[in-house]
Amino acid sequence: MINWTLYKRGIRESWKMLAIFAAVITMYFTIIISMFDPALGSALNEFAKAMPELMAIVGMTPATAELVSFLEAYLYGFIMLVFPMLYCILSANKLIVRHVDRGSMTYLLSAPVKRETVAFTQMKVMVTGLFALVFYATLLGLVNCEISFPGELNIRKFILLNIGALCLQLYVGGICFLSSCIFNDSKYALGVGAGIPVLGFIIQMMANAGKELEKMKYATFFTLFDSEGIIAGEPDAIWGMIALCAGAMVLFSSAIVVFSRKDLHI
Amino acid sequence: MSVCEIQGLIRDYGNGRGVFDLSFAIHQGEVFGFLGPNGAGKTTMIRHLMGFLKPEKGYCTIGGMDCWKDRADIQKTLGYIPGEMVFFDDMTGLEFLSFMAKYRRIKSNGRTRELLDRFELDARGKLKKMSKGMKQKIGIVAAFMHDPEVLVLDEPTSGLDPLMQNRFIELMLEERARGKTILMSSHMFEEVERTCSRVAIIKNGKLVALDNVEALKAAQARKYVITLEDEDAAAAFAGEGLRVYEVSHNQVTVIVQSNIKELLSVMNRYPVINILTPNQSLEEIFMQYYGGGRS
Repeated sequence: MINWTLYKRGIRESWKMLAIFAAVITMYFTIIISMFDPALGSALNEFAKAMPELMAIVGMTPATAELVSFLEAYLYGFIMLVFPMLYCILSANKLIVRHVDRGSMTYLLSAPVKRETVAFTQMKVMVTGLFALVFYATLLGLVNCEISFPGELNIRKFILLNIGALCLQLYVGGICFLSSCIFNDSKYALGVGAGIPVLGFIIQMMANAGKELEKMKYATFFTLFDSEGIIAGEPDAIWGMIALCAGAMVLFSSAIVVFSRKDLHI
Repeated sequence: MSVCEIQGLIRDYGNGRGVFDLSFAIHQGEVFGFLGPNGAGKTTMIRHLMGFLKPEKGYCTIGGMDCWKDRADIQKTLGYIPGEMVFFDDMTGLEFLSFMAKYRRIKSNGRTRELLDRFELDARGKLKKMSKGMKQKIGIVAAFMHDPEVLVLDEPTSGLDPLMQNRFIELMLEERARGKTILMSSHMFEEVERTCSRVAIIKNGKLVALDNVEALKAAQARKYVITLEDEDAAAAFAGEGLRVYEVSHNQVTVIVQSNIKELLSVMNRYPVINILTPNQSLEEIFMQYYGGGRS
Protein backbone atom coordinates (compact mmCIF):
# COMPACT_ATOMS: atom_id res chain seq x y z
CA MET A 1 0.00 0.00 0.00
CA ILE A 2 2.99 2.29 0.31
CA ASN A 3 5.80 2.88 -2.14
CA TRP A 4 8.92 3.61 -0.11
CA THR A 5 10.86 5.11 -3.00
CA LEU A 6 8.17 7.72 -3.46
CA TYR A 7 7.87 8.20 0.29
CA LYS A 8 11.56 8.88 0.71
CA ARG A 9 11.51 11.34 -2.13
CA GLY A 10 8.51 13.10 -0.58
CA ILE A 11 10.24 13.41 2.77
CA ARG A 12 13.42 14.68 1.16
CA GLU A 13 11.36 17.27 -0.66
CA SER A 14 9.47 18.42 2.45
CA TRP A 15 12.17 18.77 5.02
CA LYS A 16 13.33 22.22 3.96
CA MET A 17 9.83 23.60 4.28
CA LEU A 18 9.42 21.83 7.63
CA ALA A 19 12.70 23.28 8.86
CA ILE A 20 11.49 26.80 8.09
CA PHE A 21 8.24 26.24 9.97
CA ALA A 22 10.14 24.66 12.85
CA ALA A 23 12.42 27.71 13.00
CA VAL A 24 9.44 30.08 13.12
CA ILE A 25 7.78 28.02 15.84
CA THR A 26 11.03 27.90 17.81
CA MET A 27 11.25 31.67 17.72
CA TYR A 28 7.68 32.20 18.96
CA PHE A 29 7.89 29.49 21.62
CA THR A 30 11.13 30.83 23.03
CA ILE A 31 9.99 34.45 23.12
CA ILE A 32 6.54 33.79 24.51
CA ILE A 33 7.63 31.28 27.15
CA SER A 34 10.26 33.75 28.36
CA MET A 35 7.48 36.29 28.93
CA PHE A 36 5.77 34.09 31.50
CA ASP A 37 6.05 35.31 35.05
CA PRO A 38 4.20 33.17 37.59
CA ALA A 39 4.29 35.80 40.34
CA LEU A 40 3.40 39.03 38.62
CA GLY A 41 1.43 38.05 35.56
CA SER A 42 3.24 38.36 32.28
CA ALA A 43 3.77 41.30 30.03
CA LEU A 44 1.37 39.67 27.64
CA ASN A 45 -1.32 39.73 30.29
CA GLU A 46 -0.82 43.49 30.48
CA PHE A 47 -1.47 43.61 26.73
CA ALA A 48 -4.57 41.52 27.20
CA LYS A 49 -5.83 43.97 29.78
CA ALA A 50 -4.99 46.99 27.66
CA MET A 51 -6.66 45.75 24.46
CA PRO A 52 -8.94 42.88 25.35
CA GLU A 53 -10.79 42.75 22.00
CA LEU A 54 -7.72 42.49 19.83
CA MET A 55 -6.12 39.83 22.00
CA ALA A 56 -9.38 37.88 22.14
CA ILE A 57 -9.61 37.71 18.36
CA VAL A 58 -6.42 35.69 18.20
CA GLY A 59 -7.49 33.65 21.23
CA MET A 60 -5.00 35.20 23.63
CA THR A 61 -6.96 35.27 26.85
CA PRO A 62 -5.62 32.89 29.47
CA ALA A 63 -8.21 31.24 31.70
CA THR A 64 -5.90 30.85 34.70
CA ALA A 65 -2.45 31.90 35.78
CA GLU A 66 -1.08 28.40 35.24
CA LEU A 67 1.82 27.94 32.79
CA VAL A 68 -0.06 25.42 30.62
CA SER A 69 -2.98 27.82 30.38
CA PHE A 70 -0.57 30.58 29.42
CA LEU A 71 0.88 28.45 26.61
CA GLU A 72 -2.61 27.49 25.46
CA ALA A 73 -3.65 31.12 25.22
CA TYR A 74 -0.57 32.61 23.60
CA LEU A 75 0.66 29.75 21.39
CA TYR A 76 -2.26 27.40 20.65
CA GLY A 77 -4.79 30.08 19.69
CA PHE A 78 -2.82 31.44 16.77
CA ILE A 79 0.77 30.31 16.18
CA MET A 80 0.08 26.58 16.40
CA LEU A 81 -3.04 26.97 14.27
CA VAL A 82 -1.65 29.10 11.49
CA PHE A 83 1.76 27.59 10.80
CA PRO A 84 0.82 23.92 10.65
CA MET A 85 -2.17 24.99 8.55
CA LEU A 86 0.17 26.70 6.11
CA TYR A 87 2.25 23.55 5.97
CA CYS A 88 -0.87 21.49 5.14
CA ILE A 89 -1.91 23.83 2.36
CA LEU A 90 1.50 23.94 0.71
CA SER A 91 2.31 20.29 1.20
CA ALA A 92 -1.03 18.93 -0.10
CA ASN A 93 -0.72 21.10 -3.17
CA LYS A 94 2.78 19.97 -3.90
CA LEU A 95 2.16 16.26 -3.38
CA ILE A 96 -0.75 15.61 -5.75
CA VAL A 97 -2.26 18.37 -7.84
CA ARG A 98 0.99 19.98 -8.86
CA HIS A 99 2.09 16.70 -10.46
CA VAL A 100 -1.25 16.42 -12.24
CA ASP A 101 -1.24 20.03 -13.33
CA ARG A 102 2.33 19.98 -14.63
CA GLY A 103 2.13 16.47 -16.03
CA SER A 104 4.83 14.74 -13.98
CA MET A 105 2.10 12.47 -12.57
CA THR A 106 2.49 10.63 -15.88
CA TYR A 107 5.68 9.03 -14.63
CA LEU A 108 4.24 8.06 -11.26
CA LEU A 109 1.38 6.27 -13.02
CA SER A 110 3.22 4.71 -15.94
CA ALA A 111 4.71 2.18 -13.55
CA PRO A 112 3.21 -0.85 -11.84
CA VAL A 113 2.12 1.23 -8.86
CA LYS A 114 -1.57 1.56 -8.12
CA ARG A 115 -3.09 5.03 -7.96
CA GLU A 116 -4.30 4.16 -4.47
CA THR A 117 -0.69 3.51 -3.50
CA VAL A 118 0.50 6.80 -4.99
CA ALA A 119 -2.18 8.78 -3.15
CA PHE A 120 -1.71 6.86 0.10
CA THR A 121 2.06 7.33 -0.01
CA GLN A 122 1.74 11.06 -0.65
CA MET A 123 -0.75 11.31 2.20
CA LYS A 124 1.74 9.55 4.47
CA VAL A 125 4.40 12.07 3.49
CA MET A 126 2.13 14.94 4.44
CA VAL A 127 0.96 13.34 7.70
CA THR A 128 4.53 12.46 8.66
CA GLY A 129 5.50 16.11 8.28
CA LEU A 130 2.54 17.21 10.37
CA PHE A 131 3.40 14.73 13.13
CA ALA A 132 6.99 15.90 13.06
CA LEU A 133 5.96 19.54 13.32
CA VAL A 134 3.59 19.03 16.26
CA PHE A 135 5.98 16.60 17.96
CA TYR A 136 8.75 19.16 17.63
CA ALA A 137 6.53 21.88 19.13
CA THR A 138 5.62 19.60 22.03
CA LEU A 139 9.24 18.82 22.72
CA LEU A 140 10.20 22.46 22.35
CA GLY A 141 7.53 23.55 24.82
CA LEU A 142 8.51 20.89 27.34
CA VAL A 143 12.22 21.63 27.18
CA ASN A 144 11.76 25.39 27.22
CA CYS A 145 9.42 25.28 30.21
CA GLU A 146 11.52 22.82 32.16
CA ILE A 147 14.62 24.98 31.70
CA SER A 148 12.99 28.31 32.51
CA PHE A 149 10.32 27.21 34.97
CA PRO A 150 11.16 23.72 36.27
CA GLY A 151 8.15 21.85 37.57
CA GLU A 152 5.66 24.58 36.63
CA LEU A 153 4.20 22.91 33.56
CA ASN A 154 1.34 20.43 33.78
CA ILE A 155 2.92 18.00 31.33
CA ARG A 156 -0.09 15.73 30.94
CA LYS A 157 -2.34 18.62 29.98
CA PHE A 158 0.28 20.11 27.68
CA ILE A 159 0.66 16.83 25.80
CA LEU A 160 -3.11 16.49 25.53
CA LEU A 161 -3.25 20.02 24.17
CA ASN A 162 -0.75 19.06 21.47
CA ILE A 163 -2.69 15.93 20.58
CA GLY A 164 -5.72 18.18 20.18
CA ALA A 165 -3.78 20.52 17.92
CA LEU A 166 -2.63 17.52 15.88
CA CYS A 167 -6.23 16.28 15.46
CA LEU A 168 -7.27 19.72 14.23
CA GLN A 169 -4.38 19.91 11.79
CA LEU A 170 -5.07 16.41 10.49
CA TYR A 171 -8.56 17.60 9.70
CA VAL A 172 -7.19 20.69 7.96
CA GLY A 173 -4.75 18.45 6.11
CA GLY A 174 -7.62 16.22 5.06
CA ILE A 175 -9.44 19.16 3.50
CA CYS A 176 -6.33 20.32 1.64
CA PHE A 177 -5.48 16.81 0.47
CA LEU A 178 -9.00 16.07 -0.73
CA SER A 179 -9.04 19.31 -2.64
CA SER A 180 -5.67 18.45 -4.15
CA CYS A 181 -7.09 15.11 -5.31
CA ILE A 182 -10.36 16.49 -6.69
CA PHE A 183 -9.02 19.25 -8.89
CA ASN A 184 -6.73 18.97 -11.89
CA ASP A 185 -5.64 22.55 -11.69
CA SER A 186 -3.39 23.89 -8.92
CA LYS A 187 -5.29 27.18 -8.91
CA TYR A 188 -8.62 25.61 -7.98
CA ALA A 189 -7.12 23.07 -5.62
CA LEU A 190 -5.36 25.84 -3.75
CA GLY A 191 -8.44 28.07 -3.81
CA VAL A 192 -10.67 25.47 -2.21
CA GLY A 193 -8.04 23.65 -0.14
CA ALA A 194 -6.74 26.86 1.40
CA GLY A 195 -10.03 28.75 1.22
CA ILE A 196 -12.04 26.45 3.50
CA PRO A 197 -9.56 26.32 6.41
CA VAL A 198 -8.73 30.02 6.16
CA LEU A 199 -12.41 30.92 6.11
CA GLY A 200 -12.99 28.62 9.10
CA PHE A 201 -10.18 30.35 10.94
CA ILE A 202 -11.53 33.83 10.15
CA ILE A 203 -14.98 32.82 11.38
CA GLN A 204 -13.40 31.60 14.59
CA MET A 205 -11.60 34.91 15.04
CA MET A 206 -14.87 36.76 14.52
CA ALA A 207 -16.64 34.48 17.00
CA ASN A 208 -13.87 35.20 19.51
CA ALA A 209 -14.26 38.93 19.01
CA GLY A 210 -17.72 39.77 20.15
CA LYS A 211 -20.78 38.66 22.01
CA GLU A 212 -23.19 39.08 19.09
CA LEU A 213 -20.91 37.12 16.80
CA GLU A 214 -20.28 34.32 19.28
CA LYS A 215 -22.92 32.08 17.67
CA MET A 216 -20.71 31.98 14.57
CA LYS A 217 -18.53 29.47 16.35
CA TYR A 218 -21.04 26.80 15.28
CA ALA A 219 -20.14 27.57 11.67
CA THR A 220 -16.51 26.51 11.88
CA PHE A 221 -14.77 23.23 12.62
CA PHE A 222 -12.09 25.14 14.58
CA THR A 223 -14.57 25.14 17.46
CA LEU A 224 -14.05 21.37 17.77
CA PHE A 225 -10.52 22.11 18.95
CA ASP A 226 -11.48 23.53 22.32
CA SER A 227 -8.07 24.26 23.78
CA GLU A 228 -9.43 25.90 26.92
CA GLY A 229 -11.74 22.93 27.43
CA ILE A 230 -8.80 20.54 27.06
CA ILE A 231 -6.90 22.40 29.79
CA ALA A 232 -9.99 22.53 31.99
CA GLY A 233 -10.43 18.78 31.49
CA GLU A 234 -13.89 18.98 29.93
CA PRO A 235 -15.05 15.71 28.32
CA ASP A 236 -16.63 17.60 25.41
CA ALA A 237 -13.19 18.83 24.41
CA ILE A 238 -12.02 15.22 24.11
CA TRP A 239 -15.05 14.39 21.99
CA GLY A 240 -14.15 17.31 19.75
CA MET A 241 -10.70 15.84 19.25
CA ILE A 242 -12.17 12.45 18.40
CA ALA A 243 -14.59 14.06 15.95
CA LEU A 244 -11.74 15.91 14.21
CA CYS A 245 -9.69 12.76 13.99
CA ALA A 246 -12.58 10.74 12.57
CA GLY A 247 -13.36 13.54 10.14
CA ALA A 248 -9.74 13.56 9.00
CA MET A 249 -9.89 9.84 8.29
CA VAL A 250 -13.04 10.26 6.22
CA LEU A 251 -11.46 13.14 4.29
CA PHE A 252 -8.25 11.26 3.56
CA SER A 253 -10.07 8.08 2.52
CA SER A 254 -12.35 10.06 0.21
CA ALA A 255 -9.31 11.77 -1.28
CA ILE A 256 -7.70 8.43 -2.13
CA VAL A 257 -10.92 7.09 -3.64
CA VAL A 258 -11.48 10.26 -5.69
CA PHE A 259 -7.94 10.21 -7.02
CA SER A 260 -8.16 6.54 -7.95
CA ARG A 261 -11.38 6.92 -9.89
CA LYS A 262 -10.95 10.19 -11.70
CA ASP A 263 -9.93 10.88 -15.26
CA LEU A 264 -6.45 12.26 -15.60
CA HIS A 265 -5.58 14.33 -18.63
CA ILE A 266 -1.86 13.84 -18.30
CA MET B 1 -2.85 -13.19 -31.42
CA SER B 2 -3.80 -9.65 -30.55
CA VAL B 3 -1.92 -8.07 -27.68
CA CYS B 4 -3.86 -4.85 -27.61
CA GLU B 5 -7.48 -4.45 -28.46
CA ILE B 6 -9.58 -1.33 -28.71
CA GLN B 7 -13.28 -1.88 -29.09
CA GLY B 8 -15.90 0.81 -29.68
CA LEU B 9 -13.94 3.40 -27.70
CA ILE B 10 -15.79 6.70 -27.26
CA ARG B 11 -14.82 9.86 -25.45
CA ASP B 12 -16.60 13.01 -26.43
CA TYR B 13 -15.05 16.32 -25.36
CA GLY B 14 -17.62 18.28 -27.34
CA ASN B 15 -16.99 20.42 -30.43
CA GLY B 16 -16.05 17.31 -32.37
CA ARG B 17 -13.01 16.68 -30.18
CA GLY B 18 -12.30 13.31 -28.65
CA VAL B 19 -12.41 9.81 -30.07
CA PHE B 20 -15.50 8.30 -31.59
CA ASP B 21 -16.11 4.59 -31.88
CA LEU B 22 -12.49 3.55 -32.38
CA SER B 23 -11.91 -0.15 -32.88
CA PHE B 24 -8.78 -2.00 -33.87
CA ALA B 25 -6.41 -4.65 -32.64
CA ILE B 26 -2.63 -4.83 -32.52
CA HIS B 27 -0.95 -8.20 -32.91
CA GLN B 28 1.94 -9.74 -31.06
CA GLY B 29 5.29 -8.66 -32.48
CA GLU B 30 3.86 -5.89 -34.60
CA VAL B 31 4.89 -2.27 -34.92
CA PHE B 32 1.65 -0.43 -35.29
CA GLY B 33 1.56 3.14 -36.48
CA PHE B 34 -1.10 5.49 -35.22
CA LEU B 35 -1.16 8.37 -37.58
CA GLY B 36 -3.14 11.58 -37.50
CA PRO B 37 -2.82 15.35 -37.65
CA ASN B 38 -2.51 17.36 -34.44
CA GLY B 39 -5.69 17.26 -32.41
CA ALA B 40 -7.00 14.14 -34.13
CA GLY B 41 -7.33 12.20 -30.88
CA LYS B 42 -4.08 10.22 -30.81
CA THR B 43 -3.11 11.23 -27.29
CA THR B 44 -6.67 10.76 -26.04
CA MET B 45 -6.59 7.18 -27.31
CA ILE B 46 -3.21 6.59 -25.68
CA ARG B 47 -4.43 7.97 -22.35
CA HIS B 48 -7.12 5.32 -22.44
CA LEU B 49 -4.54 2.63 -23.09
CA MET B 50 -2.53 3.89 -20.13
CA GLY B 51 -5.55 3.82 -17.83
CA PHE B 52 -5.44 7.58 -17.25
CA LEU B 53 -8.93 7.98 -18.71
CA LYS B 54 -11.96 5.79 -18.28
CA PRO B 55 -13.77 5.06 -21.55
CA GLU B 56 -17.18 6.65 -21.83
CA LYS B 57 -18.17 3.68 -23.95
CA GLY B 58 -16.29 0.67 -25.21
CA TYR B 59 -13.11 -0.76 -23.76
CA CYS B 60 -9.46 -1.38 -24.44
CA THR B 61 -7.29 -4.22 -23.30
CA ILE B 62 -3.59 -4.97 -23.26
CA GLY B 63 -2.48 -8.56 -22.82
CA GLY B 64 -6.08 -9.50 -22.13
CA MET B 65 -6.33 -7.10 -19.18
CA ASP B 66 -8.66 -4.13 -19.02
CA CYS B 67 -6.76 -0.88 -19.44
CA TRP B 68 -8.81 0.95 -16.80
CA LYS B 69 -9.33 -1.72 -14.14
CA ASP B 70 -6.01 -3.55 -14.39
CA ARG B 71 -3.86 -0.54 -15.23
CA ALA B 72 -1.23 -1.18 -12.56
CA ASP B 73 -0.75 -4.81 -13.61
CA ILE B 74 -0.50 -3.86 -17.27
CA GLN B 75 2.29 -1.43 -16.43
CA LYS B 76 4.56 -4.25 -15.28
CA THR B 77 5.40 -5.12 -18.87
CA LEU B 78 4.65 -1.82 -20.55
CA GLY B 79 6.93 0.99 -21.58
CA TYR B 80 5.54 4.43 -22.27
CA ILE B 81 6.89 7.56 -23.88
CA PRO B 82 4.50 10.43 -23.14
CA GLY B 83 3.77 13.07 -25.73
CA GLU B 84 5.10 15.70 -23.40
CA MET B 85 8.16 15.23 -21.23
CA VAL B 86 7.60 16.59 -17.75
CA PHE B 87 9.86 15.27 -15.03
CA PHE B 88 10.67 16.26 -11.49
CA ASP B 89 12.69 19.35 -12.15
CA ASP B 90 14.96 19.22 -9.15
CA MET B 91 16.50 15.88 -10.17
CA THR B 92 19.39 15.18 -12.49
CA GLY B 93 18.78 12.79 -15.37
CA LEU B 94 20.59 9.95 -13.62
CA GLU B 95 18.74 10.55 -10.36
CA PHE B 96 15.46 10.43 -12.24
CA LEU B 97 16.34 7.16 -13.98
CA SER B 98 17.45 5.55 -10.76
CA PHE B 99 14.32 6.86 -9.04
CA MET B 100 12.17 5.30 -11.76
CA ALA B 101 14.02 1.98 -11.50
CA LYS B 102 13.54 1.83 -7.73
CA TYR B 103 9.96 3.08 -8.02
CA ARG B 104 9.24 0.30 -10.49
CA ARG B 105 11.09 -2.10 -8.21
CA ILE B 106 13.41 -3.31 -10.91
CA LYS B 107 17.05 -4.13 -10.36
CA SER B 108 19.37 -1.76 -12.10
CA ASN B 109 20.80 -3.60 -15.07
CA GLY B 110 23.21 -2.84 -17.85
CA ARG B 111 20.26 -1.90 -20.02
CA THR B 112 20.07 1.68 -18.79
CA ARG B 113 23.79 2.20 -19.38
CA GLU B 114 23.51 0.71 -22.84
CA LEU B 115 20.58 2.95 -23.75
CA LEU B 116 22.37 6.05 -22.48
CA ASP B 117 25.37 5.16 -24.63
CA ARG B 118 23.24 4.43 -27.64
CA PHE B 119 21.72 7.90 -27.52
CA GLU B 120 24.99 9.53 -26.51
CA LEU B 121 23.30 11.01 -23.51
CA ASP B 122 25.13 12.51 -20.57
CA ALA B 123 22.36 12.40 -17.99
CA ARG B 124 24.31 13.98 -15.15
CA GLY B 125 22.82 17.43 -15.63
CA LYS B 126 19.68 18.79 -13.99
CA LEU B 127 16.51 17.90 -15.87
CA LYS B 128 15.35 21.51 -15.61
CA LYS B 129 18.28 22.68 -17.70
CA MET B 130 18.04 20.01 -20.37
CA SER B 131 17.04 20.76 -23.94
CA LYS B 132 13.93 19.26 -25.45
CA GLY B 133 15.96 16.63 -27.27
CA MET B 134 17.80 15.57 -24.13
CA LYS B 135 14.57 15.29 -22.19
CA GLN B 136 13.17 13.18 -24.99
CA LYS B 137 16.18 10.86 -24.71
CA ILE B 138 15.66 10.53 -20.96
CA GLY B 139 12.04 9.63 -21.68
CA ILE B 140 13.14 7.00 -24.17
CA VAL B 141 15.57 5.44 -21.70
CA ALA B 142 12.90 5.42 -18.99
CA ALA B 143 10.49 3.67 -21.34
CA PHE B 144 12.88 0.95 -22.46
CA MET B 145 15.00 0.32 -19.37
CA HIS B 146 12.81 -2.39 -17.86
CA ASP B 147 12.69 -4.30 -21.16
CA PRO B 148 8.90 -4.14 -21.57
CA GLU B 149 6.87 -6.47 -23.79
CA VAL B 150 4.54 -3.75 -25.03
CA LEU B 151 5.58 -0.23 -25.91
CA VAL B 152 3.25 2.72 -26.22
CA LEU B 153 5.06 5.63 -27.80
CA ASP B 154 3.41 9.02 -28.24
CA GLU B 155 5.33 10.88 -30.94
CA PRO B 156 8.59 9.40 -29.69
CA THR B 157 10.99 11.16 -32.03
CA SER B 158 9.82 14.70 -31.43
CA GLY B 159 12.74 16.91 -30.51
CA LEU B 160 15.36 14.44 -31.74
CA ASP B 161 17.80 15.40 -34.47
CA PRO B 162 17.83 13.22 -37.64
CA LEU B 163 20.80 11.16 -36.42
CA MET B 164 19.08 10.35 -33.15
CA GLN B 165 15.81 9.70 -34.96
CA ASN B 166 17.66 7.04 -36.93
CA ARG B 167 19.13 5.56 -33.75
CA PHE B 168 15.63 5.42 -32.33
CA ILE B 169 14.24 3.73 -35.40
CA GLU B 170 17.06 1.15 -35.18
CA LEU B 171 16.10 0.53 -31.58
CA MET B 172 12.48 0.00 -32.53
CA LEU B 173 13.43 -2.43 -35.29
CA GLU B 174 15.59 -4.39 -32.84
CA GLU B 175 12.76 -4.54 -30.36
CA ARG B 176 10.40 -5.69 -33.07
CA ALA B 177 12.86 -8.46 -33.99
CA ARG B 178 12.81 -9.52 -30.33
CA GLY B 179 9.06 -9.99 -30.56
CA LYS B 180 8.00 -6.82 -28.77
CA THR B 181 4.71 -5.19 -29.65
CA ILE B 182 4.89 -1.49 -30.36
CA LEU B 183 2.23 1.16 -30.81
CA MET B 184 3.64 4.40 -32.08
CA SER B 185 1.77 7.59 -32.78
CA SER B 186 2.98 10.18 -35.21
CA HIS B 187 1.84 12.98 -37.42
CA MET B 188 4.39 12.21 -40.12
CA PHE B 189 3.92 9.37 -42.57
CA GLU B 190 7.64 9.27 -43.38
CA GLU B 191 8.45 8.31 -39.83
CA VAL B 192 5.83 5.61 -39.62
CA GLU B 193 6.53 4.01 -43.00
CA ARG B 194 10.09 3.15 -41.99
CA THR B 195 9.17 1.09 -38.98
CA CYS B 196 5.53 0.11 -38.95
CA SER B 197 3.94 -2.89 -40.56
CA ARG B 198 0.40 -1.63 -40.21
CA VAL B 199 -0.93 1.86 -39.87
CA ALA B 200 -4.18 3.32 -38.62
CA ILE B 201 -5.05 6.83 -39.72
CA ILE B 202 -7.26 8.86 -37.45
CA LYS B 203 -8.95 12.16 -38.16
CA ASN B 204 -11.30 14.10 -35.91
CA GLY B 205 -11.36 11.13 -33.56
CA LYS B 206 -12.52 8.67 -36.17
CA LEU B 207 -10.61 5.87 -37.82
CA VAL B 208 -10.38 6.71 -41.52
CA ALA B 209 -7.96 4.05 -42.66
CA LEU B 210 -6.33 0.90 -41.37
CA ASP B 211 -4.01 -0.88 -43.73
CA ASN B 212 -0.59 -2.32 -44.41
CA VAL B 213 2.14 0.16 -45.00
CA GLU B 214 2.55 -1.09 -48.58
CA ALA B 215 -1.09 -0.46 -49.37
CA LEU B 216 -0.88 2.99 -47.87
CA LYS B 217 2.25 3.76 -49.81
CA ALA B 218 0.42 2.91 -53.00
CA ALA B 219 -2.39 5.21 -51.97
CA GLN B 220 0.01 7.98 -51.13
CA ALA B 221 -0.52 10.97 -53.37
CA ARG B 222 2.21 13.55 -53.84
CA LYS B 223 1.79 17.06 -55.07
CA TYR B 224 4.31 18.57 -57.44
CA VAL B 225 4.37 22.20 -58.42
CA ILE B 226 5.85 22.59 -61.87
CA THR B 227 6.88 26.01 -63.09
CA LEU B 228 6.95 26.50 -66.84
CA GLU B 229 8.29 29.24 -69.05
CA ASP B 230 4.99 31.01 -69.69
CA GLU B 231 1.26 30.72 -69.19
CA ASP B 232 0.63 29.16 -72.60
CA ALA B 233 3.04 26.34 -71.86
CA ALA B 234 1.36 25.88 -68.48
CA ALA B 235 -2.06 25.62 -70.09
CA ALA B 236 -0.79 23.10 -72.61
CA PHE B 237 0.97 21.15 -69.85
CA ALA B 238 -2.26 21.01 -67.90
CA GLY B 239 -4.01 19.48 -70.91
CA GLU B 240 -1.69 16.47 -71.02
CA GLY B 241 -3.98 14.19 -69.08
CA LEU B 242 -2.19 14.31 -65.77
CA ARG B 243 -4.19 14.76 -62.59
CA VAL B 244 -4.12 18.54 -62.31
CA TYR B 245 -4.85 20.11 -58.97
CA GLU B 246 -4.40 23.74 -59.84
CA VAL B 247 -3.13 26.03 -62.60
CA SER B 248 -2.02 29.53 -61.76
CA HIS B 249 -0.04 31.73 -64.14
CA ASN B 250 2.88 29.65 -65.31
CA GLN B 251 2.62 27.11 -62.47
CA VAL B 252 0.82 23.79 -62.62
CA THR B 253 0.18 21.68 -59.55
CA VAL B 254 -0.28 18.00 -60.30
CA ILE B 255 -1.07 15.06 -58.08
CA VAL B 256 0.98 11.95 -58.62
CA GLN B 257 0.24 8.64 -57.02
CA SER B 258 2.25 5.91 -58.71
CA ASN B 259 2.59 7.38 -62.20
CA ILE B 260 5.76 9.33 -61.57
CA LYS B 261 7.24 8.09 -64.89
CA GLU B 262 4.33 9.54 -66.79
CA LEU B 263 4.96 12.89 -65.17
CA LEU B 264 8.64 12.73 -66.03
CA SER B 265 8.00 11.94 -69.67
CA VAL B 266 5.54 14.79 -69.99
CA MET B 267 7.97 17.16 -68.27
CA ASN B 268 10.64 16.19 -70.80
CA ARG B 269 8.60 17.65 -73.60
CA TYR B 270 7.94 21.02 -71.98
CA PRO B 271 10.06 24.03 -71.04
CA VAL B 272 10.15 23.29 -67.33
CA ILE B 273 11.97 25.85 -65.19
CA ASN B 274 11.47 24.46 -61.75
CA ILE B 275 9.83 21.64 -59.83
CA LEU B 276 9.11 21.50 -56.16
CA THR B 277 7.14 19.41 -53.68
CA PRO B 278 5.31 21.50 -51.13
CA ASN B 279 4.90 20.29 -47.56
CA GLN B 280 1.72 18.34 -47.39
CA SER B 281 -0.60 17.51 -44.60
CA LEU B 282 -1.68 13.95 -43.97
CA GLU B 283 -5.06 14.71 -45.46
CA GLU B 284 -3.43 15.68 -48.71
CA ILE B 285 -1.18 12.66 -48.80
CA PHE B 286 -4.06 10.24 -48.34
CA MET B 287 -6.69 12.09 -50.27
CA GLN B 288 -8.67 9.07 -51.29
CA TYR B 289 -8.81 7.85 -47.71
CA TYR B 290 -10.07 11.20 -46.67
CA GLY B 291 -12.78 11.13 -49.30
CA GLY B 292 -10.90 12.20 -52.41
CA GLY B 293 -9.42 15.52 -53.44
CA ARG B 294 -10.22 17.86 -56.27
CA SER B 295 -9.18 16.79 -59.73
